[in-house]
Amino acid sequence: MNFPDFSAALLLGAIALPLLLAAGMARRGWRSCLLMLAPWAALPALVVVFVVPQGTAAYFPWLFFGSHLGFDQTGYIFLLFTSTLWLLSGLFAQTYLADDTKLSRFFAFYLLAMAGNFGLILAQDLVTFYVFFSLMSFSSYVLVIHNGETESLRAGRIYLCLVVLGELMLFAAMVTMATNANSVLLRDAIAVPMNDVTLALLLFGFGIKAGALPLHIWLPLAHPAAPVPASAVLSGAMIKAGLLGWIRFLPLGLEAFPQWGALVMGAGLAAAFFGALVGVTQTNPKTVLAYSSISQMGLITIAVGGVLTVPSLWPTLIMAILIYALHHALAKGALFLGVGVASHTASRTQRLWLLVGMLVPALALIGAPFTSGAIAKTALKTDLTSLPTPWADVLQIALPLAAVGTSLLMARFLWLLWSKPAALGHSRAGLWITWSLLLVAVALIAWILPIANGSAQDAVKFDKIWAGLWPLAVGILMASVALVRSDRGGGIRYPEIPAGDWLALFTWAAPYTARMGRTLASDTLTDLWNTTTASMFQALRRPAPDQSWSRMEDCLKNWSVAGMTLLCISVILYLLTSAW
Amino acid sequence: MNFDNWLLVFILLSSFVTGLIIFFLKEEAHRLRTLLNLFGALLKVVLVGVMIVGVQADHVYESRLELLPGLDLVLRADAMSVLFATLSSVLWLVTTLYAVGYLEGEPHRSRFFGFFSICVSATTGVALAGNLMTFLIFYELLTLSTYPLVVHRGTEKSLQAGRTYLIYTLSGGALLLLGTVWLHTLAGPVEFSLGGALAQVATQHRSELIAIFALLITGLGVKAALFPLHGWLPQAMVAPAPVSALLHAVAVVKAGAFGIVRVVYDLFGVHTAEALGVLAPLAGIAAFTIVYGSVRALFQDDLKRRLAFSTVSQVSYIALGTALFGYLSTIGGLTHLVHQGIMKITLFFCAGIFAHTLGVHKVSEMAGLGLRMPWSMAAFTIAALGMIGVPPFAGFVSKWYIGMGAVGSGSYWAVAILAASSALNAAYFLPILHAAWFKKRVDPWPADHAHGVGEGHWMLLAPPLITAALVVAAGVLANAPFSPLEWARHITEIEYGK
Repeated sequence: MNFPDFSAALLLGAIALPLLLAAGMARRGWRSCLLMLAPWAALPALVVVFVVPQGTAAYFPWLFFGSHLGFDQTGYIFLLFTSTLWLLSGLFAQTYLADDTKLSRFFAFYLLAMAGNFGLILAQDLVTFYVFFSLMSFSSYVLVIHNGETESLRAGRIYLCLVVLGELMLFAAMVTMATNANSVLLRDAIAVPMNDVTLALLLFGFGIKAGALPLHIWLPLAHPAAPVPASAVLSGAMIKAGLLGWIRFLPLGLEAFPQWGALVMGAGLAAAFFGALVGVTQTNPKTVLAYSSISQMGLITIAVGGVLTVPSLWPTLIMAILIYALHHALAKGALFLGVGVASHTASRTQRLWLLVGMLVPALALIGAPFTSGAIAKTALKTDLTSLPTPWADVLQIALPLAAVGTSLLMARFLWLLWSKPAALGHSRAGLWITWSLLLVAVALIAWILPIANGSAQDAVKFDKIWAGLWPLAVGILMASVALVRSDRGGGIRYPEIPAGDWLALFTWAAPYTARMGRTLASDTLTDLWNTTTASMFQALRRPAPDQSWSRMEDCLKNWSVAGMTLLCISVILYLLTSAW
Repeated sequence: MNFDNWLLVFILLSSFVTGLIIFFLKEEAHRLRTLLNLFGALLKVVLVGVMIVGVQADHVYESRLELLPGLDLVLRADAMSVLFATLSSVLWLVTTLYAVGYLEGEPHRSRFFGFFSICVSATTGVALAGNLMTFLIFYELLTLSTYPLVVHRGTEKSLQAGRTYLIYTLSGGALLLLGTVWLHTLAGPVEFSLGGALAQVATQHRSELIAIFALLITGLGVKAALFPLHGWLPQAMVAPAPVSALLHAVAVVKAGAFGIVRVVYDLFGVHTAEALGVLAPLAGIAAFTIVYGSVRALFQDDLKRRLAFSTVSQVSYIALGTALFGYLSTIGGLTHLVHQGIMKITLFFCAGIFAHTLGVHKVSEMAGLGLRMPWSMAAFTIAALGMIGVPPFAGFVSKWYIGMGAVGSGSYWAVAILAASSALNAAYFLPILHAAWFKKRVDPWPADHAHGVGEGHWMLLAPPLITAALVVAAGVLANAPFSPLEWARHITEIEYGK
């Protein structure tokens, strides 16, 4: 076998191996063996990162509508952090969920979602991307509802509704792109001028996955509901699939869409602050992290909006986006896994060590000097300053303020973790080892990555160190004031914002709107109204009264009516068609 | 004797003769009957296989019999008839297996399997019919031979359903006859030909042809369950599960949909139909039916009723794909003819298993089914996801092509219809899947015939597993040679004269 063939086989193998292991789980006798192997299914993908040369492409003519896989620079970075995270989270889960009765189910769907995540990174055509995107989205539903509690089921339901909504938007967008380009290849599809509707569908469809405002509502519910290792991949890796969708499908760098660009930048900026503000009011550390993801993805969204406004920024901004995605994925993964470690700490010393360890990803997220965050933020800021006014000036002020918000979020998170000790359980070495490995990755990877070289050199300059330091200092100061005041009993009163923010407004309003509808409408409409609202937002499966419909059906069963209808239909058809 | 002239007759007879023999078998002759059944079904599949290979190699298979002067009974194999004949013969084989397992120990099995075989002969006749008259004859034979199957149980409810079924289908048949005769007087004997046969006539008799089209489509629309002619279908679900499978996926509904495809493409010709302006109203009705069926399905608690309304919706995808004037949507419509068949038959097989083994008839009783019957439920899940259009299952492939056709012809509204229908499909299938896999079973099963453990009988389980595997294969290997998609592309190239 010569080398290009080997590379192509490796691309397919990286996707196929987790799929095969998941299929093998169907057999009871194989399960215990497969459970040992499951996390290692991510290894071929990691091998791809280091072995397969960039620019490799593979074509599988029988698969789907002819499937194109390929490995490029974007794929390189995405696969690097994605496979690392899936591997380490998987190993973490082996220990963390060792006593769980539903371990096989968890890993079966963990593997399916993993295959989907790898597949969509390697996909070079619309259909292959869509297939793996769906595989990942639907499989992770099972991870969200894993513990089976009422809250998780609700989170899962809302998650699933938004997944379906996203799928439909993407279906419409992709069908349009494929038809207009007369090709399913991504590079052909984005070369054709894009209309506004398609662009909007892509922005919203992928925005759901990326947690973009205002479609983020599922995220603070679903990410915390899943078991810790699943939250880590959800918030670290899978959320980036939405970003990758934007990168692959939007005509970035090819066409300018100033209005859309402004809208996207606005949404990103809003998310950066909204995530931080709502996040600090949360009482569950995992929900705080979920809101932090919304905030961080907001910053990347600003960059995407920037390219939509000024296409010429694309070659440099894509680097910044890639570095930022990598940095956030690993840091957020480490934070989530840390929550899992915290629930298994056995002594105060261990808790202190935990806190010290947590500082690594927390500081990185804030963008403190000498962290991966400092490199990522330096890259992002440098490129965004060349945006037209007023954006450059606004961002000049807004980005450091967002960093202050992040430091408050992190302070809140660490405080919650420290002050609310989970029942001190057994310490498990496996958790500490995998978590520490991830911490090492967070601390080092951005410094050794070739594409981040320039930004890394930039980031250690004095003014950049200062730029990273002062938001952190302000954040610490504000957090300390809050801490001291709450120690004196005069704690800050937060407004209680439930996770999922504006969704709560809707659930609160649903009975009222239904009542309003009842008074306004006739019986038929009321039934329809009730069933629609009930079915969409509360219990998707409650059977509802539908007498009016049945009456119509009964009527249609009647012999004379049937005959008459037939006759009428043909007459109407005739009239219609001759009038056409 | 020339084999090419007789192959099609053999294909018809393989099930017809079997059916006739089965009528005369004693009720207890279980083994012999099963053997005959399976032999007939297998023979048919083999013969159809020979036909496929032949048609690929440009063989012409034609059998002709003069009924009246100037009116021939014609059987002919072209790319289109091969598509439908293959679908019905393969699905008949698995349905036979299923029916044998399902009706174990019930009375009147000879009657049942006799009509069952005749019904499939009629369907094959519909597929192979070379002109409208032949089509009509087999179409009516299909009506008559399915009636005893619908009323098989003999209960008040099933008799009522049978009555409704006859009223609808016979009236539809009458309209079809009217249209056929009118067309005959206008254009003489017209044979189906790929690309259409009425281009010349259309220039002189425009309005007559439009009226004929309306008559034919209304007549066919009854079986294809176009709104508002669908009333019989949800009622007919009182029939035993194998019959439902037959009605929804193999024979009746499919014959209607296939008829619409035939009339548009091979009788009128797609260009002529477009010039007459009859496609847009048909697309409108199909689109409305798609949404209407899905909305109605959402509110059904009876599983088979929900599936029946789902059929109303899904079969109209075929009509929509046909009526959207465009190369790609034609591919989508034709592919859906096959894909809807394999998906829906899987769902009905599974519904039958749930009812037969555990007495579960309602959606609200399905909690915990996945843990009890993982294989059956897995088959159900695959088919349901396919119905929603989740890639890479079969339903996605046809939806994708219909969607591309809609965009290509500028009918963006049709993309919206597809999306809306998918959303509704998700709304009535996903809760079932959730309940079956992730809800804890609290109550005992309504009627557990398997004594607390395991799946149904293997004869019940194997058919849905086979068809579910087809659902996966048709999607994952959509581009492979001999996939339904490839065959549909082949037909479409001929129809559009490329």
